[in-house]
Amino acid sequence: MATDPNAKKGNVAGDSSATTDSDLLRQNARDSQLFASLNGHHLLGIEGMKRPIIEGLIDRANQFAELPKNEMLTHLKGMTVFNLFFENSTRTRVSFDLAARKIGASVVNVPVSTSSIKKGESLVDTAVTLNAMHPDILVMRHQHSGASLMLSRHVDASVVNAGDGRHEHPTQALLDALTIKRRLGEIAGLKIAICGDIANSRVARSNIHLLSTLGAQIRLVSPSTLLPSGIEEMGITTHYDLMDGIEGVDIVMLLRLQTERMQGTETPSQREFFHLFGLNAEKLAEAAPNALIMHPGPMNRGVEIDSALADDHERSLITMQVDMGVAVRMACLEAVAAARNADQQGQAS
Amino acid sequence: MTAVFFNKIHVCDPSSGRDEISSVLVKDGMIKAIGSPQSIGSPPKDATIIEAQGAVLAPGLVDMRVQSRNPGYTHQESPTSLAQAAAAGGITSMVCLPNTNPVLDNPDSLAALMRHNTDRIASPRLYAYGAATKGLDDEAMAELGLLAEAGAVGFTNATKPIADSLIMRRIMDYAAMLDKPIIQHAEDISLARDGEMNESVNSTRLGLRGIPAEAEEIMVARDLALARLTGVRYHVAHVSTARAVALIRQAKADGLSVTCDTAPPYFGLNDLAVMEYDTRFRLSPPLRSEDDRQAVLEGIADGTIDAIASDHAPQDRDSKLLPFGIAATGASALETLLPLVMGLYHQGVISLMRVFELTSSVPATLLDLPGGSLSQGATADMVVVAPDRSWQIRGKAFKSLSHSTPFEGQPVQGKVLSTWVDGVMIYADGE
Repeated sequence: MATDPNAKKGNVAGDSSATTDSDLLRQNARDSQLFASLNGHHLLGIEGMKRPIIEGLIDRANQFAELPKNEMLTHLKGMTVFNLFFENSTRTRVSFDLAARKIGASVVNVPVSTSSIKKGESLVDTAVTLNAMHPDILVMRHQHSGASLMLSRHVDASVVNAGDGRHEHPTQALLDALTIKRRLGEIAGLKIAICGDIANSRVARSNIHLLSTLGAQIRLVSPSTLLPSGIEEMGITTHYDLMDGIEGVDIVMLLRLQTERMQGTETPSQREFFHLFGLNAEKLAEAAPNALIMHPGPMNRGVEIDSALADDHERSLITMQVDMGVAVRMACLEAVAAARNADQQGQAS
Repeated sequence: MTAVFFNKIHVCDPSSGRDEISSVLVKDGMIKAIGSPQSIGSPPKDATIIEAQGAVLAPGLVDMRVQSRNPGYTHQESPTSLAQAAAAGGITSMVCLPNTNPVLDNPDSLAALMRHNTDRIASPRLYAYGAATKGLDDEAMAELGLLAEAGAVGFTNATKPIADSLIMRRIMDYAAMLDKPIIQHAEDISLARDGEMNESVNSTRLGLRGIPAEAEEIMVARDLALARLTGVRYHVAHVSTARAVALIRQAKADGLSVTCDTAPPYFGLNDLAVMEYDTRFRLSPPLRSEDDRQAVLEGIADGTIDAIASDHAPQDRDSKLLPFGIAATGASALETLLPLVMGLYHQGVISLMRVFELTSSVPATLLDLPGGSLSQGATADMVVVAPDRSWQIRGKAFKSLSHSTPFEGQPVQGKVLSTWVDGVMIYADGE
């Protein structure tokens, strides 16, 4: 197992008994067997990932989250992580950067979004070039679905998907799950509404796979134009009415209206979207008492969410989500590194 | 020219209905005599005698949908590689789309391509559709009359539909006057805008933009209404959906002059193939649902689908080495057409005779081309096939410059042994 058997499951933030097993944290990951079953030695998506692996990653991240702020680990000492963000991102890139440093890797931020290799056209060329520099882990965000799988087939490094088009954003789903777990203890049995632009959201896809694997009940609330074809076949219910959709839910997960991926035919206006699908305190009253709000960011205030509600720290987990991002990415980097070492040892023997 | 004598070979010729052991004398580029071994007797003294026990002699394939890439894109397919790939596939005539550079929207460009046939040495025949609109940009009718005189066998906007309804109506009227067919890539392009694969739960899982089957249905329905209005010969290319097959079936029953073809991916594969973003499966139209695939098979079996073309769309390696959504559509298909259609025969979907009807005699008739027949006096465009011989499709072994095939690794049955044009052997299996 990924976790110290003595460590508590589902540590609750603020619970002073949530101790850090510093020996465990300081030793190198010895649980490579667990992670050897990641897709190859890559982390490309949540779909198809087995429950013990998901739980292992979350539990491990939960331990990392308990580390003192200045604690620097050396698990990935000597390893190099390249950040390749073909699509602009501040929080995810910084989060990966920080995570890699905190776990002892060297980090190279490859400036792909401003350089000549900006477009997807040369992804394979880029991969081949970077491969020659022998990075251990490539963290990539790309505007096209499937790009990370493609990259993984052309490099020796482990690939971590930091978001590919409308497909998946696995570390976001993991950090969402860790956030929920730390705040509410258990995910199984929770009612969670994912609201907004489902069609263009990789966060929605990863969360649907992850949260349903962990036993949550998922509802989607979206205008019909932003609900992709056949999504009910993924074992979830769909709602066009926000109040219906969030009735009695424990968590309302809002998504950003991804105007850059939209074709201009999905909603008449942001004003109308906010009127019908934007969350405010009044609508939130339909959810369970003390229901929590999540958002992967960056937020469009006054579009998905009323500005005052976004700042309500009683209800909003948005800042905590960002905070958990680093711990989750540390766990993910450690896991792919472990799987990679296991692969290499397997090849050597 | 020496005569060739096929001694006691299984002839399969849809145009005459001959499906039996026969002897065939070929001379001066023509079928001089064909009949039972007794009636034909012994070969002339100077004839080359071909004994091919167990093989089938059939009319050479007439492939009615080929992107030649010449002129303009010869890094994707050169005239030589195109000819060699077609010959290896048993194809004796190819009809090329006008999406070359320059576009075949003027009689000079088309005449230049047609000159291939007079200069041709041991290679398949080339024909071409003229561009339906100038520059294929769907704004103004091309010079259809001049194109027809230069040899255009029909008109099309190639890989794009003739989308504007008024322009389509005019083109249909005009083509009806010229007695040439309109070949349509049936897709409502505004509905399919930015689409990357068939729309279904699979596109949703993959996060790829969907192209609904309705995009094809809508365009076929509109075109059938306009075909009824104009009386044109209307032909739908690479039909891929159940609803389009049903519409065409009904239109035929109503007596409209409508025909259609499909291509092997649409009866051989479905959209589940895309699940790993493999760009070999990036095709236009996209691979559809299993229900659609079954409907295409039914259309082939019941005759709604008249012909099967290769839909050869060679792409260079770089154009396929891209994320799925921006990778080029199309596959190298000349060398896999016959074995994949023969797969339908081996599966019991169609008869051996129907294999050559779909791939040879019907397309030749639709476009009024020589070939497609082994009757006495017919042009000796022929293929000799080992119907049961099994092999495995390997893109790397293609003679085409493009090695991308959605059927990579697939075992097939049916191997071309030799290909003949004008009674001259242009390909012989090297094994």
